[in-house]
Amino acid sequence: MTTDTAPRSIGYAQRAPIKPAPWHALVAWDMFFNGMTAGLFLVAALGELAAPQTFAPLARVAYPVALGFLLADLLMLVLDLGDPFRFHHMLRVFKPGSPMSLGVWSLTVYSLPLTVAAVLSLQPGGTVFEWIRRVAVVLGLLPALVTIVYKGVLLSTSAQLGWRDARWMGGFHASGAVLMGCAQMALLASVLGSGQAAQVLRAGLGVLVVVHAVPSILVTAALWPVPEGVESRRWQRIAAILLIAGGLLLPLILVMVSGAAGWLVAAAILILLSALGSRFLLIYLPHYSA
Amino acid sequence: LTAVPQAPGAANGRPTGLLERMIAPFRRGQPPPPQPVTGFYTDTTVCIGCKACEVACKQWNQLPADALNWSGNSYDNTQTLSAMSWRHVKFVEQFPEEGVRGQGSGVREDGADRQPLPVVSPPLPLTPDTSPLTPGRWLMMSDVCKHCIAAPCEHSCPTGAILYNEFGNVYIQPDICNGCGYCVAACPFGVITRSDLDGHTHKCTLCYDRQKDGLVPACAKACPTASIQFGPIDELRERARRRVEELHGRGVTGAYLYGDRATDTYSALHSFYLLVDRPATYGLPEAPFNPWLHMKGDYLRSLLCALVALVALFVVLLLGGLP
Repeated sequence: MTTDTAPRSIGYAQRAPIKPAPWHALVAWDMFFNGMTAGLFLVAALGELAAPQTFAPLARVAYPVALGFLLADLLMLVLDLGDPFRFHHMLRVFKPGSPMSLGVWSLTVYSLPLTVAAVLSLQPGGTVFEWIRRVAVVLGLLPALVTIVYKGVLLSTSAQLGWRDARWMGGFHASGAVLMGCAQMALLASVLGSGQAAQVLRAGLGVLVVVHAVPSILVTAALWPVPEGVESRRWQRIAAILLIAGGLLLPLILVMVSGAAGWLVAAAILILLSALGSRFLLIYLPHYSA
Repeated sequence: LTAVPQAPGAANGRPTGLLERMIAPFRRGQPPPPQPVTGFYTDTTVCIGCKACEVACKQWNQLPADALNWSGNSYDNTQTLSAMSWRHVKFVEQFPEEGVRGQGSGVREDGADRQPLPVVSPPLPLTPDTSPLTPGRWLMMSDVCKHCIAAPCEHSCPTGAILYNEFGNVYIQPDICNGCGYCVAACPFGVITRSDLDGHTHKCTLCYDRQKDGLVPACAKACPTASIQFGPIDELRERARRRVEELHGRGVTGAYLYGDRATDTYSALHSFYLLVDRPATYGLPEAPFNPWLHMKGDYLRSLLCALVALVALFVVLLLGGLP
């Protein structure tokens, strides 16, 4: 027993006064599906606008897939609420100052042109329907962009340990969503046997991996310091390194080494798995930091 | 509040029927006329840890008992503010290591670290708290929602359930909240939690119903030492500053007000405290930070990353997709 005559402060000083957000796996899936749907829509729309002959057939498949991911995303959002039967309360006010309010409205607005584009993509290409479909695609660009931009900001605009220090969290999610969209398009191109599109998307994946590496590294650097006494954060460092290596470095090597379809599919799958893993890692960060 | 008027045929104050349930949250009423802003001033130097405030709060607001467990942290059994405990009395024991080793959060639940309790020393006269001769002291504080002037929980709420009522207090409309949990994430004081019973978030209402009837909040009414004081916020701040001067004059030079004034990173609080030790000792953030100060920059960085990625991809698709 030590003899310490200095007054000792016990009880609360070692505890973080913040309570972890009541968000768990459903929110991690929500963040993943958010990037999947909006990212796929944006990349498909860009492809159609940039080179319709090459990408329009792929985009017509991509929009219904994106709609499916949107429905999955909305399901996660509703189920995660404390009172799912009150989901429509989200629409009683529009508060741009609340990232969650902005996100709900952007998803709502985005769902309209996406649904039109998806449904009409399944129709035979009549001229009137085709023009409506194209207008819907263009109208969906802005809400899809807002949808990928708000998500990370929702986390960083909070008092939660870890999230509050990650100034590039929004950038990480935004560029990550575009990367996920490109990976999905590459998968679609490979599955549908669209050789030229696959090769272009392979180059796109390489560029996007490099772009996405910047916010990924910045977020990792911001979250790297482990608060005193929070040992559980240390293993997350290892997970982060594995996710960067497996979700960025390895796919980059794969797309650079060979143009074979199998390598492209492997790179795309690695990117998507890494995106899912990183979202789980980030969502549980405050729980491991408390 | 009159945001959701009662529907005809409503039972127990709740809309009935699916259609009514869908429509009711979108109805608007006239907001009540503004009243003088009220708040709490908590003088921790006179708190005796009786928990009358906790009991009165639970009784008036019909909150269930919770967490009646051995916490290992002094006489603290509720341990934290929660959806069911809107008042929480904190107990801080500051004694030399030799005297009471084993008390507080360091006690192991299996009892292996348990030591015989020391004989309670007679109370000593109030001395400057930095004196090395001070053998020890109790600090007690009745914690509650801070009713921030610029409340992150209000900023975050996507349903508009959280608002400032006519008394300037931060209030959660229980019939609007859908339990999204963003206010829990936003609060830098860890005040708000989501209830496991109804899935909604709850916290101190500053006894809004009592205030509307001209009554003092239940906790302040029950406090036997006037540690919790309620009233118009300007009067409370003036009273608190005089008390700090009085304590300084009596040698308690460490006395200061927490949340009395706005800082560079946070607004003033409508529930503020007189403390005699560092905020962290009481489980309060040393320098609370409003997360919304970062929001614009975060949006810009997010938009920048999205646009760089999209433009880069567009160029690749444009060049590579040409026949």
